[in-house]
Amino acid sequence: MRARSARRKEGKAEKVIPLRFIPDREAKVRGVDGTRCLLMNDAFYTFFERSMGEFSPFFLAIRDEKKILGCRCPRCGLVRVPPFVTHCPDCDYAPTELTEVGQVGRLISTPPITYFATSLFLDRAPFGRGRVVLEGADTALSVMLYTTTGILTPGILQKGTEVKVVFRDRRLGEIADIFCVPTAELTPGQIATPGLEESELPWARARAPKFDRPSRDEVRAYRECLREMRALARAMSRSRRARSAILGWKRNIAVRTKAGEFAMVIDDGDLRIVEKKLRAPDFIMACEDPRALLDGLAYRGAFTDAVILKKIWIDKNEEFNTIFKLDRLARFLAREKKERAARQT
Amino acid sequence: MARRVGIVGAAVTPFRAKWYEKTYYELAQMATREALRDAGISPREVDAVVYGIYNDIFQRACIPEHPLQGVLGLPNKPGVRVSNGGATGAYAMSVAHAYVAAERYDVVLVLGVEKATDCFDFTSMSSTPEVIKTIGWSGDSFFEQKIGWTASDSYAEVVLAYMDEHPGDLKPEVTARISSLLSRQARDNPYAQRQLDQVTPEEVMNSRYIVYPFKELEICVYSEGAAAVVLASEERARAMARNTGTPVVWITGVGEANEHSFAGRNQNRWGRIYSHHVAAQRAYRMADVTDPLKEIDVVELHDAFVQQLEISMAEMGFVPPGRADALVEDGIMMPGGELAVNPSGGLLYCGHAVGASNIMSAWSCRNEMIRKGYRRGLVHGTGSTIAQYGVVLLLERE
Repeated sequence: MRARSARRKEGKAEKVIPLRFIPDREAKVRGVDGTRCLLMNDAFYTFFERSMGEFSPFFLAIRDEKKILGCRCPRCGLVRVPPFVTHCPDCDYAPTELTEVGQVGRLISTPPITYFATSLFLDRAPFGRGRVVLEGADTALSVMLYTTTGILTPGILQKGTEVKVVFRDRRLGEIADIFCVPTAELTPGQIATPGLEESELPWARARAPKFDRPSRDEVRAYRECLREMRALARAMSRSRRARSAILGWKRNIAVRTKAGEFAMVIDDGDLRIVEKKLRAPDFIMACEDPRALLDGLAYRGAFTDAVILKKIWIDKNEEFNTIFKLDRLARFLAREKKERAARQT
Repeated sequence: MARRVGIVGAAVTPFRAKWYEKTYYELAQMATREALRDAGISPREVDAVVYGIYNDIFQRACIPEHPLQGVLGLPNKPGVRVSNGGATGAYAMSVAHAYVAAERYDVVLVLGVEKATDCFDFTSMSSTPEVIKTIGWSGDSFFEQKIGWTASDSYAEVVLAYMDEHPGDLKPEVTARISSLLSRQARDNPYAQRQLDQVTPEEVMNSRYIVYPFKELEICVYSEGAAAVVLASEERARAMARNTGTPVVWITGVGEANEHSFAGRNQNRWGRIYSHHVAAQRAYRMADVTDPLKEIDVVELHDAFVQQLEISMAEMGFVPPGRADALVEDGIMMPGGELAVNPSGGLLYCGHAVGASNIMSAWSCRNEMIRKGYRRGLVHGTGSTIAQYGVVLLLERE
């Protein structure tokens, strides 16, 4: 307790709401059809000292013993994980008993992968969330799913894929203390040992791709791409709808391609393509063929999908957020053109 | 025997990405004013109101409906709020139907409203991550919220489980054609948020992944707006119809079901959206429908996601499970096909103002039946985690 109080005093304790989420108390006026509309920064918050009640043994077992508990109905024999009932609703509410289950299991279906997450999970995407039936259990536990090999792409995890529970190094006693990875990415020893921790995993490091020297044709194609991207960036900066996709957002992106390097500058509604090497970019995008970038800006293909399919490499996963904004920028420009044409007809 | 219940008035506000110039009070009154005008009655003739408002946080108030009682001009009359996730609007209409059918009240207003996109994420300087976070508070609070549960990823679970069972169905080319079709249908809906956003199948296929397997143009769009319908007993409905000259559209079948939200042995029927099957069967029994594809002319379906639209259509018996792509490949829902599906543009293109959405669907279904002379229509709502809730209402013209 003393240590925690001391941390609080020093302002180092993790807050239930990180400060970066909290806006300043202010208001702004937005003109809509000649009227002045007031917008107020606000929040709707309540703090809790929340009872984990009958789930306390389950969460404490995760936190303190690195074990997974379920509940067994002595009458029908069903083992439910998590142990979400103390009395079986299928057997006239017969009392259930807690039991430990295994830490390896199989996915009951192909899991979704979240690329565009809520504001609370933007820096944890992409991640999978699926349902695993652990050895000894009958029902499925909902878990976060990762791969140790880089960005999670469709196909890595499917119905029937064997996965293992991994425990976060720092645990509070909540469901986010655990996640699963495919056993195919683990050693036999790691699979066999219960209580595997996150820091024991062989996480792949992000490595920038290396390119050969470009041919003359590739240099010519690069120049042409750059010209087209500049034209699109100018159109975007003039489009009210497109600007709204990057309002309030600033990023200096170093873009490295086989035939040359340039900067993509997002500046509060403006997009600029500048031929220069940035010394301290916010992040790096690398792609061998610049046409993947041009296709993204021209709304012929999505930046997001190009990153997922490894046509475009980024050095910071959390910048997926900026990647989404670039996709939105392209879509908004295309949509504005379309709507203008529709209104004229 | 329960009384017959008819729809005698309906209206929607424009569905928009954001209404800067109106609060949900004003949106609620706008839709109510128009619906009562459509029915040719004043608020004094309304006996009770059912509010469909999904999320307290969107409105930034608990019991957000209480100010509306006065705003709508219904003091000292009964008002009950329904909050059933995405299916809020459909469940609200079901409750109102029960009130009238049971002879408790003669004229009941159903008002759905949602001010969804005031939520704003100041870290990404955009609304959507905060909107989906707010909806994310609807997931299981002990086991799912903290591991990134969203409406999209929970519906994606169901869709992927279906695709595991039926790998040849829900082909991307087909979902792209459905989205494109809905975008064209929205062109005729002046209240649609994306009225002028007609997309090609190629654009749908090229749009970015949001949550695998859903692409951006396969997902409904969050909206702000309101919708209202006026339900009346047979005697009152006939009197109002004589006055307005608009035929009564009767609600002849209502069915609903909420599934188990956990998966595994003896839990949810994984790979199906069984609640939609059960809800449809209940409604069909009540309305004596035995062959939905032959007997129903127009469907306004809660298309949160195109893939879920296809599965829901299969669960409701329009196509066999595993052959949902027949909706497009056999031309069933294509122009000139046997069935009109989401002439409003659906929640994908008209928009998803959650509590108002299914009521907007009923508004559109009734309009289509009156304008095009369709005999029977179906309104569908879905909601909660893994499409757990299903509601089906059958509408009929004499």
